[in-house]
Amino acid sequence: MAQAFAQMVGGRCAFRGDCTAFSARQAPMAQRGALQVVAGLKDTRDRIQSVKNTQKITDAMKLVAAAKVRRAQDAVVNGRPFAENLVKVLYGVNQRLRIEDVDSPLVNVRPVKNVTLVVVTGDRGLCGGYNNFVLKKVEARSKELAKLGVGVKIVCVGKKGSSYFKRRLDRFEVSANFALTATPSTKEAQAIADELYAGFVSEDVDKVELIYTKFVSLISSEPTIQTLLPLTPQGEICDIDGRCVDAAEDEVFKLTTKSGKLAVEVEKRTTDTSDFDASLIFEQDPVQIIDALLPLYLNCTLLRSLQEALASELAARMNAMNNASDNARDLRKRLTLAYNRKRQAMITSQLIEIVSGANA
Amino acid sequence: MSMQVCIMTPDRIFWNQQAEEIILPTNTGQMGVLKNHAPLMTALDIGVMLIRTKVEWTSVALLGGFALVKQNKVTVLVNQAESPSTINAEQAEKTYQEAQRQWVEATGAKEKVEANFALKRARARLQLVKKR
Repeated sequence: MAQAFAQMVGGRCAFRGDCTAFSARQAPMAQRGALQVVAGLKDTRDRIQSVKNTQKITDAMKLVAAAKVRRAQDAVVNGRPFAENLVKVLYGVNQRLRIEDVDSPLVNVRPVKNVTLVVVTGDRGLCGGYNNFVLKKVEARSKELAKLGVGVKIVCVGKKGSSYFKRRLDRFEVSANFALTATPSTKEAQAIADELYAGFVSEDVDKVELIYTKFVSLISSEPTIQTLLPLTPQGEICDIDGRCVDAAEDEVFKLTTKSGKLAVEVEKRTTDTSDFDASLIFEQDPVQIIDALLPLYLNCTLLRSLQEALASELAARMNAMNNASDNARDLRKRLTLAYNRKRQAMITSQLIEIVSGANA
Repeated sequence: MSMQVCIMTPDRIFWNQQAEEIILPTNTGQMGVLKNHAPLMTALDIGVMLIRTKVEWTSVALLGGFALVKQNKVTVLVNQAESPSTINAEQAEKTYQEAQRQWVEATGAKEKVEANFALKRARARLQLVKKR
């Protein structure tokens, strides 16, 4: 009998380290049921502990993401004066140039043979479907373009996208990879812009499209396709549906704490785009000035997209981690309940044994 | 009263102070601006901008952009601005040599454009540290 018992316990040895102690004690058959529960009890206890630890991690990640969203927002606010002034000047110059035919390399519209897709993904995972949504959009768009007989090149920003395309080199031509970094600065935007500029001006590509995640609110963000190059001389950037996504009507998001919960306020600002003085001297040819202006505009737009994508990523992470924490809390509650039930059942059965033993 | 000079980059305001005189690296050569200048707008090349506050001259490397002069207020919008203190002289020298080598070796149209930019930037940085 004891042998059979040892066998049974032995079967559980895979995840019980102390089974030898139990078999050595040669417990009576009557305790077998109770012992099984003990085994289950320790498992449950371990499980609760691990859920607890996971919850701690997800909670921390959520807080970190929240703090970073705030920083991302500061970056957007710091970039504001530049964007405002730029748009103002661009409109002003445009007023003057309305009659003239602008001929700048960046506004050069030509038949499209090759398109560069700039894909902005995150550097890290654990942010729900954020990276996936962007990559799916890229897949869809590249299929669409391939159907039209247009060559597609990929310029990838963010490590997640790089590793995705690395595994699919047979289908995608990746011309450059960039890291997103924790705080996208002018340097990163400049590096990307240089790559795009060189490709476009040398007529390797005829159109540059940007696929990034637009920040709508903390709980929703949408992957968006935007045409970066050629720029329209009006200084307007439109997405493929023809909607104007311009810096003149700028949305600022503000992270606030409303009744203890994090919330986002969106503030719409319209830049005053008044005309220039008629007496303003153009030191150079207006075309040359436009030439100097448009790269700035390209950079500025790129930087903004990077910042917005980063904000979306952080918001997505915040959400994912929030959900994970909630799940962990729920699971812990249920496990604790099951654990207590088992524990109480064990105590009860042991009591009964003692009482019946005393009676006998 | 002197002029208000404001240098802005896409991520921050780089410089916002009063100045007596500035020299801008425009597309068509260097151009000095004193107070009460007529309203003017100019494209800026990649180069070094000089600012005189009272007696002291300060230099700033500007990496492409434009300037707007209006009612004693100079607004400079650039992709990137760097002050001499953030540039390592040796590094700048090395980068310049490297850029020059690449510029000579560049063959394709795309490489040429890229190398040209890199060379100009390296030159501006080098000029900045040399002047100090």
